[in-house]
Amino acid sequence: MATCPGCALLCDDIDVIVENNRIKETRNACRRGAARMKGCFNRLAPSIAQKPVDIESAIRKAAEILKVAKSPMLFGFSNSTCEAQVKGIQLAKKLGAIIDDTSSFCQGLLIETIFQEKFRTCMLEDVRNKADVLVYWGSDAQDSEPRHLSRFSYFPRGESRQRGYEEDRIAVAIDVRESNTAKICKGHFYRIQPKGDREFILALTDALSGKVPAYEPKKILELAAILKKAEFGVIFAGIGLTYSIKEDMEILVALADKLSNFHIMPMVGHYNMRGFNENLFKETGFVNRVKFEGKAVQHSPAEVLDTPSRGVTLVHDDKYSIVEALRNESIDALLVAGSDPLSSLPRSLVRHLASIPVICIDPCVTMTSKITAVTIPCAVSGVESGGTAVRMDGKKIELSKIIESDYPTDEELLTRLMEAL
Amino acid sequence: MGLDVGKFMKNPEYEIKIITYRDIFQVEALERDRFGKDYEKLSAFIGMSKNDMAKMGLKSGDRVKVANNNGSIVVEVRESRRDEPGGVAFMVNSPWSNVLVSDDMGGKGIPEFKNITAKISLVKEEITSLESLMEYFRKLKQV
Repeated sequence: MATCPGCALLCDDIDVIVENNRIKETRNACRRGAARMKGCFNRLAPSIAQKPVDIESAIRKAAEILKVAKSPMLFGFSNSTCEAQVKGIQLAKKLGAIIDDTSSFCQGLLIETIFQEKFRTCMLEDVRNKADVLVYWGSDAQDSEPRHLSRFSYFPRGESRQRGYEEDRIAVAIDVRESNTAKICKGHFYRIQPKGDREFILALTDALSGKVPAYEPKKILELAAILKKAEFGVIFAGIGLTYSIKEDMEILVALADKLSNFHIMPMVGHYNMRGFNENLFKETGFVNRVKFEGKAVQHSPAEVLDTPSRGVTLVHDDKYSIVEALRNESIDALLVAGSDPLSSLPRSLVRHLASIPVICIDPCVTMTSKITAVTIPCAVSGVESGGTAVRMDGKKIELSKIIESDYPTDEELLTRLMEAL
Repeated sequence: MGLDVGKFMKNPEYEIKIITYRDIFQVEALERDRFGKDYEKLSAFIGMSKNDMAKMGLKSGDRVKVANNNGSIVVEVRESRRDEPGGVAFMVNSPWSNVLVSDDMGGKGIPEFKNITAKISLVKEEITSLESLMEYFRKLKQV
């Protein structure tokens, strides 16, 4: 059995058929997972200024760029193993750099709230065995984490839910569109207006407090009744919800306080985004957007690290998010590991990428890799190399090495880069 | 030979709100080959309700320009398979939809990926290719 690195469900029940050191077929994997495991069409090659070189030269050039940069940034890491993420954090400390990951414009806010223990949360096995009311809020799991409903939440027979979805479980969808997940939640789909989550949460909080909600009272009271009856409820919070209430996560905390039998779980796309959040949180107390200031004299408990002689402090600020750093043009070099900002960020923001040297570590050619100063190919983690990753609920999962590869792992590349520095 | 007046008339523009979403088929195509035709076909379109399309005089397969202060793209319009109430259009999250997303984050560092306002109008131009989006960056590098 292999583990799929397609999304943060990290399904560990995948059968693979290997032929000539290539994955010919996968069984049990979803479309996304199967495509990830079978590999991309365009593998990245090492280059400097878009001209082919050997990997060693590319690493040396990357080190040169980072060494002379006054304000370097490291970004990505949500598609990297925990081991590579730890190396990335060490590299950021060594450089006195900013480090941020994709959670910065995804589920970081929600995950930080969970780490601060403001919500009750649970494991996916608890969901399978105990959950009777499942609320998909701003989350289309069927398209983003396609085996969520079949492996863990709605369809399986769990220890206390032997009658499964037919009798024992109710699935609810709250969304701006009738997603594929909402279609499964037939009869319990609550359509909200764009950015209407706040109004909906406040109305639901009123209904749970015995007040008549100001907004769609009949539907809200009906939903409140379902939630109140839950023995083990879970709100699967998608980015639709997080984006909509990003200025006021506290209203979700207040709603959770009214629902004593409920748990909140972030729906995470990238396979090890939560791993990065955990690793950085362990080191700094923050899940993303951190700057290590190498020249600072002051010491603090957070400065532990492997460079104690240097005196490193850290600063956390929204201006250290990838989007603000690019918008403010405050960085002069960027290392991107396993991400494609040119593709995933607003075009209005990425202009600055054209004016600074960018180093790209990735298994595949990406939009970003096509304009970068240095490209360094790496192995596909979970396929060509093993390691550890953290599932969306916080469980550590081992990744398997399925096929042999000459490509170095991202952990190895970051180690070699540190040595070259 | 009569003068084709229609040629000089600008097609009407309509303001629309766009919500982005994820699609498993598009994600699969991205994993395989982000520069491939499948990824482009599954990304460069906008879905609308039947009613909204009728009001705007659009039919499935038409090419539309979707533009705002942040940028402009040409994509195919398709009637939503779902029974949508209208008033909102949908695009799969992609480099195409990201052309339209504002850089104003309201201080939280999270762009409004799912809350885009733009103008839509019928055009005859070619659908914006990924290569032309890349060209935009290449030109920036040359400046």
